[in-house]
Amino acid sequence: MRLYRLSFAFVTLIFLPSISVAEFPVAPATEDTFLGLVEPFCPESIDPNWRKQQQIENVSISPSPVCAPDNPYDIATFVKGTNNVSMATIMRTQLSPDTLIKKNDLDGDGDPDEIHIRLEVIELNGFSPDQQEPITTYDIAPGIQPGFWAFAPKSRGMSNESFSSTKANTLLRLPSPSIRVEQGDKIIVTLENSHYFPHSIHFHGVDHPFQKENGEGNDGVPQTSNKLTMPGKVFSYELTPRQTGTMVYHCHVQAHTHILMGLIGMFIVEENKPNNWVQTFNVGAGFVRHSSVAVKEKYSQEYDLQYQDLDRELHNLIQQGNDSRLLAKSFNREYNITERTPDYFILNGRSFPYTLRESLIVIKPEEKVKLRVFNAGDEMLSLHTHGFKPTATHLDGVKLSPEARIQRDVFTLGPAQRADLELYARNDGLNNMGEGIWTFHDHNELGVTTDGVYPGGHISSVVFESFLGPNGMPKVQGVDVSPFFTKEFYQRKYPIWNLSDENKLYGEIAKTTESTAKESNEESMDSTQIIILVFQILLLLITLFLIRKTTQKTNA
Amino acid sequence: MPNKKPLKSISTGSLVALGLSVSSLYSGLQAAETAFETKEIPREKHQPGKMEGMACGANMQMDKTEMVCGSNMRMDVTGMVMYENKEKLPKDCKAISEDVTIEVKAGIDHAKPYPGTVFGLSEHQWEVKPCSRITVEFTNEDEIRHQWMIHGLPKYLYPEGMFHIEVNGKGKKTGTFIVPSSNYTYLVHCDIAQHMEKGMKAQLKVGTGRGDLPSIPGISAAKFADSF
Repeated sequence: MRLYRLSFAFVTLIFLPSISVAEFPVAPATEDTFLGLVEPFCPESIDPNWRKQQQIENVSISPSPVCAPDNPYDIATFVKGTNNVSMATIMRTQLSPDTLIKKNDLDGDGDPDEIHIRLEVIELNGFSPDQQEPITTYDIAPGIQPGFWAFAPKSRGMSNESFSSTKANTLLRLPSPSIRVEQGDKIIVTLENSHYFPHSIHFHGVDHPFQKENGEGNDGVPQTSNKLTMPGKVFSYELTPRQTGTMVYHCHVQAHTHILMGLIGMFIVEENKPNNWVQTFNVGAGFVRHSSVAVKEKYSQEYDLQYQDLDRELHNLIQQGNDSRLLAKSFNREYNITERTPDYFILNGRSFPYTLRESLIVIKPEEKVKLRVFNAGDEMLSLHTHGFKPTATHLDGVKLSPEARIQRDVFTLGPAQRADLELYARNDGLNNMGEGIWTFHDHNELGVTTDGVYPGGHISSVVFESFLGPNGMPKVQGVDVSPFFTKEFYQRKYPIWNLSDENKLYGEIAKTTESTAKESNEESMDSTQIIILVFQILLLLITLFLIRKTTQKTNA
Repeated sequence: MPNKKPLKSISTGSLVALGLSVSSLYSGLQAAETAFETKEIPREKHQPGKMEGMACGANMQMDKTEMVCGSNMRMDVTGMVMYENKEKLPKDCKAISEDVTIEVKAGIDHAKPYPGTVFGLSEHQWEVKPCSRITVEFTNEDEIRHQWMIHGLPKYLYPEGMFHIEVNGKGKKTGTFIVPSSNYTYLVHCDIAQHMEKGMKAQLKVGTGRGDLPSIPGISAAKFADSF
């Protein structure tokens, strides 16, 4: 009887949809979306005086009207050397007194020709045994902190910007700094290995002998020339480059991971000219606030643009453990580069929108600007400039003959390749199409995303001065950029067109009870969780048993 | 290796609650040492240019001459001593209770007793009486720089609550500071990125101290330990 009733009910249920008239299916409502905490375009902590044109230690420092310019005291010290500036200037930097020694005008032309450079190896966003978050943090975009290693000018004092912050100080960042020297100078580069893995320096394309005068290796390759520079040790490389050009330096120990972790930067050899005090370091690459004599003869400005792509799986390794043996195993024996997929794309150490704070190229009509473009990543870079067709003057640091110079709007560079480009703001429809905010970006579309979210990656802009607002903010007239300055946007939580979309055509769909039930059903426990639960129950029982036993003992 | 991310979608409240109750019971039974947490210090901007008592305009000579910038800082190519205090008593001290000398060595060789660490200190804990005057003789045995940096001191005596010795390569520097009267455990470390995490962490207990800090080699466990 009961069975009969049940089956009847069942059959009725099955046929219910077909016997009742279908109602108009009301789609779920649109939900309000929380935008998240919007970071200011330009943080207030940045000293606006740093942007001004100024003279420090008799070094003229070009204005840098972007939101986050380089510290002018750093620039003055990088031009004069830590041995030729006052203590007061050094104290406005975090440099060590022996970071950069410049002396001996060997050719008598008014500038020092013996240059001693000291580099340390730093880790950013590394593991902390004391807290969930990584430490000595460095954000490439809102909320995005891949682990990095980088070369840095030797510094002093704390790694963090303050005692109550875990943010790295401004010298510790990506990319490894561009290094500039003068042709024919006697250069000594000392690697101070302050990191927990062995490292080396290879001068890629820079004229250097295989051996030093004392017979020690000088090529930085563990397999052929150099012993490993172990943690706590130092090693000096010596070179007197005869040829000029945009070259590279990088670590050559376990190069397939160490280079990609960030141990790579530009090494630029400038023409020998009288009174040519070059800015030895360009921290974070980007705008050169004190260009060499030869560059100033031809160009009004100069920028170093270093592009990198990052595989999250590699960069996260240093956030997964602390033991040096586990780390060595995960880097050298577990990580498999053949499975590499890039997730993040950075220009001068940042992804869009942070590139807008630091990596704008600010220009006036008729200006001629030198761009040194370097692909330090593992993917192809197809750099496209809106509003301009730049001309390549050098490839891999070698000057092109006038007939070999190419003018085009996409320049493709493979890993480790460099191109020196001339960006000419002549409004003739070929060199330039007039004033504006002209984006320049990778046209390999992966490169304009951050973990697959667009817009991100290495997007920046050439901004004409007439389009630059206060605090280095370009006078953009497109969509509201606030969502890009939230963590939620890059966590895929925010519907992209929400602020332009009054009718909420593309808003977030509100959760109905049905979909919530479905979701919670989907989130039912998997086998691991069941095992954990069983384990926890067992543990509870054992604990209770132990407590009981202990209490019984005490009672007895 | 520990995965710091929460386990995939363990969302069931009861599951978490059960886990918590189990772990708390378990740790209660073990009578584990109470981890000492430093208070959240309000954020302030570190301004390298604005150091108290700075009065040094002369060109720095790259030799042995030690630049004295006011009373708070000594610096030369071999390193620096910052915010030294040999005389001024903390408000809560009537007199200096005792003079203590700490000899500490830093370098990769001192990491050997603690497998998996890379940079080490010869000692990781010191105990002193309240209101002690402590002289730190800090020897660096590595070719790179290392620091002996202590945090949490009274800010009216020590700018940013810190006393700091940095030795640039092999060598030794000595500096002195005076601790206040209250029982407290101070963090001592090398603040070069990853040197603390890879072994250069220690604690100074004044009086009875206030528990142990986590992840001090040979003394306390890490909050987020490696799994092997």
